Amino acid sequence: MEVKTEQFSEVAKEELRKAYTFLKAGATFVRIRRETALSTFPDAAAAQAYGAIIRAEAIARLPELLEEFEKNALSNGAKMFWARDANEASQYIVRLAKERGIKYVTKGKSMVTEEIGLNEALEKNGVKTWETDLGEFIIQLLGVPPFHIVGPAMNIPVAKVRDLFMEKIDLKEPTSDPVQLGHAARIFLRDKFHRVDMGIAGVNMAVAETGTIVNVENEGNIRFNKSSPRTQISVMSLEKVVPTLEDALHLVRLLCRNCTGQKLSVYVSMDNGPKKSDEIDGPEELIIVIVDNGRSRIYQDTIAREAMRCIRCGACLNGCPVYRQIGGYAYGWVYSGPMGQVLNPLLLGLEKTQDLYRATTLCGSCKSICPAGIDHPSLFLHYRAKDVSGDAALRAKKTPMMERIFFRLWMWAVTRYRLWNWGVRFVRPFVNKEAHGGMLREVGGLFKGWFRSRDLPAMAKKTFHDRWIEAQKTEFRSQKSEATTEKI
Amino acid sequence: MKQSARDEILNKLKAAPRKTIPSRSERPVLRELSLTPEELIETFSKNLSQEAGIVHRVKDRREALEKLSQIAKEEGLKKVIATTDDVIASLDLAAWGKENDVRVMTPQDFDSRDSFKDAVFEEADAGITGADFAVAESGTLGLIHNKDQARLTSLAPILHVAIVPVERMVAVYEQVIEKVFGEKKNLPSQFCFITGPSMTADIRGVPFKGMHGPRKVIVILVGE
Repeated sequence: MEVKTEQFSEVAKEELRKAYTFLKAGATFVRIRRETALSTFPDAAAAQAYGAIIRAEAIARLPELLEEFEKNALSNGAKMFWARDANEASQYIVRLAKERGIKYVTKGKSMVTEEIGLNEALEKNGVKTWETDLGEFIIQLLGVPPFHIVGPAMNIPVAKVRDLFMEKIDLKEPTSDPVQLGHAARIFLRDKFHRVDMGIAGVNMAVAETGTIVNVENEGNIRFNKSSPRTQISVMSLEKVVPTLEDALHLVRLLCRNCTGQKLSVYVSMDNGPKKSDEIDGPEELIIVIVDNGRSRIYQDTIAREAMRCIRCGACLNGCPVYRQIGGYAYGWVYSGPMGQVLNPLLLGLEKTQDLYRATTLCGSCKSICPAGIDHPSLFLHYRAKDVSGDAALRAKKTPMMERIFFRLWMWAVTRYRLWNWGVRFVRPFVNKEAHGGMLREVGGLFKGWFRSRDLPAMAKKTFHDRWIEAQKTEFRSQKSEATTEKI
Repeated sequence: MKQSARDEILNKLKAAPRKTIPSRSERPVLRELSLTPEELIETFSKNLSQEAGIVHRVKDRREALEKLSQIAKEEGLKKVIATTDDVIASLDLAAWGKENDVRVMTPQDFDSRDSFKDAVFEEADAGITGADFAVAESGTLGLIHNKDQARLTSLAPILHVAIVPVERMVAVYEQVIEKVFGEKKNLPSQFCFITGPSMTADIRGVPFKGMHGPRKVIVILVGE
């Protein structure tokens, strides 16, 4: 997927103009559903905390769990391919498809396949790709990025979907009923499922103790992708591994409640290798592609690596006051919302994503919601510090020398209170010249960048310090006069 | 000699600083474990009905077949695809089919994946399966997939009917996993939890049933 993270500010401004009322209302609705679903736990907070412990352990034990998963998956009869980066992973899958004479593949929703640009690589090599999750199918046909990780097409007006289907999937009767449109997509994609020879799916969880792959879905497209064709390819980013099946089940309970407010999604399918020889359906070969794509490098940073706990539930998006205003496009890549703000900087480098870990009020809504216990606000501050210091491992570019010198001087000046008081009085007339209606919104010159995303009230005529001293004098005077009056 | 990708990745991970593994607190309580068998059935039915699944309770094999006849009539079933697991086998659906003018196909009728798929995608009005487990905590069926329980039978047709003896009712998923995965060997190629009909809300958040999988799921619970 094309990287547009450096356009965050411009896109966010545009999106703000659209005033997404449905997004704010929808996010509230989903948050209520989530809370209702979590209340089915005897102790929801304990259940969430336990999920965090499982994911913390999974990340802490990552190499050994991956080895255990590989051993058990291989003994189940699966094949495994390790890919260092996006290119290795996608080229391998292209090769598999060409070797088997595959004309088209059907795909389940998988964020890591977006990361590695799999669809583009396949199409470039003459293999058609069909996204089969309804939302992914719509955005694939439209050629737009996802708006929300759970509902990638939820912002697309029904009329636009209708026109799209009439143009691209032979919808005969125009209809504005989402249900009818869904049925049209069902019929169209059903034919693809019927004849497909290679199905590609992501992995929600890879269970180390048994070598099992777990997929969670509501539509049934993933089950089709895994059961209809002769070849199943399951693509996973390496942090998806969990220690045991019991752990996986607990996380599935949390995932479904946090993601869609369900106790369990309609289908939870668990694969242990290819089909047995006497089965009539199921894959003859199950190939697991494990993708690194920078994660082993990120893993060296003991703070940043906790972002890899993410189970992709998307609940953080619905809780985020920023996401609710601007939607998903501004974040500029595969992952949006707070999830994108902790993941995109690690995967793309801090330099390319500078706005992402700054576009936050640090309200902590995401942190309080996260079933994996990710501390987003701390991660944002960590990235900022690394960004300023030019950390090579996280691919940050050091701040320009002028900026560093400025802040050295700034620090020297503001820690001396007399300099501060004097400076404030000196600066006030110049600063207030730029104020309109009592607010400073756009300031020219040196500080233009700081004001790009911040507003300040105009500076008051008297500083608080001045007012305090005056008030003390007045009170002292009135106390003295009271005392005098009393005497009389 | 250049390292393989696998070794390179694993070595990088192993070379990273180690962090303490957090100690596990008490595993959260599973409330459903304290329910009686009758309460489990009630909970199962309530949960599945909430997801628009239909639950029928019948006494025995004979009533189950009667219920099936009723369903065949209501849904206008002409051809169905069935599994050959022990529950379905004990019902003798071939005979039932003759009596009710319904053609009952099984995977054994087909000599290839492709011909089986043609039947299951284009001919079957319904898929009739047993279930290895019914889980009360969310109204969920558990199906082990093997030669007697093909995967597409419960997925491709627009209607899925599952006939489940009440003895197979359990409270929570863990009880299922213990039985299916407990030995850690001879694992089925696939195991599925199924909760009601397939669904989506991807167009403007408007929910509907029957996206790619069945639009309707009927569970017939058999036994006292």
